[in-house]
Amino acid sequence: MNTLFKAHNFTSYQCDSSRAFHIDFDHKLIKLSFCQLLAFREQIKNIDLETHFSGRNKHGIEILVLCNRSHIFIFDTFECIALKDLMEGTFAMLELNSLLTAGV
Amino acid sequence: MKDIVRQKLSINVEIMDMLNKQIEKEAVSSSAYLAMASWCDHNGLENSAAFFYEQSSEEREHMLKIFKFINDNGGTAYAPEVKSVMHEFNSLEEIFEAALDQEIEITQSIHSLVQKCRKLNDFTTEYFLQWFVNEQMEEEQLMRRVLELFDLMRDEPLKYIDERIPGLREE
Repeated sequence: MNTLFKAHNFTSYQCDSSRAFHIDFDHKLIKLSFCQLLAFREQIKNIDLETHFSGRNKHGIEILVLCNRSHIFIFDTFECIALKDLMEGTFAMLELNSLLTAGV
Repeated sequence: MKDIVRQKLSINVEIMDMLNKQIEKEAVSSSAYLAMASWCDHNGLENSAAFFYEQSSEEREHMLKIFKFINDNGGTAYAPEVKSVMHEFNSLEEIFEAALDQEIEITQSIHSLVQKCRKLNDFTTEYFLQWFVNEQMEEEQLMRRVLELFDLMRDEPLKYIDERIPGLREE
């Protein structure tokens, strides 16, 4: 597996043989198809961090259900920030890889 | 490392995000036209109401066209959330002016998309968007023609203007 990006305790990987992606949440490793990775990215993008600081999100947690409801995660504010970094970094690396592959 | 993203997706990820935003805009536009149709219906302007029902349906078709394009090319299209749209208007002319502004906004958004496609060398989406560029030009022209009617027939009863509306679409 190739490491794509690491943020806080989270790491994303690409597996060439299974044409899939993996995310290591420190305590749990999950496999995602590209479609599921896109769906995860969308969920992370939709997290409004401002609500964590303004008091609108009173508990400061986000509950995410992934991969056709196979996994459920509860993330606190710091983890949400790290996840946003992870997704941004992962997709930047994937774009870089696309550019390099197309250039070869 | 394999380019799995390219294997799965024919369009650029950033462009896919922008197309999803465009879906939202088309949905809002469709809903706004429905509100305009409702106002016309309540004010006895049947032809104008029919015009806006048709416009609403067209905007929904545009939305579905983009929706299908994203999914067909391996991306994920998201069903849009439409928040409140304006239901209160002062006059039919104000409605058509609002409709023209709305079309201009959509045109600008399509143009930004084309610009981004060129920057990122996403020729697939750029080619797909050409249809929308032409369509927007026609939509704007149509709204302008209706507003010209108001300039020409300002002293005539509103009913006469309403009667001319279906003819403009057929031209």
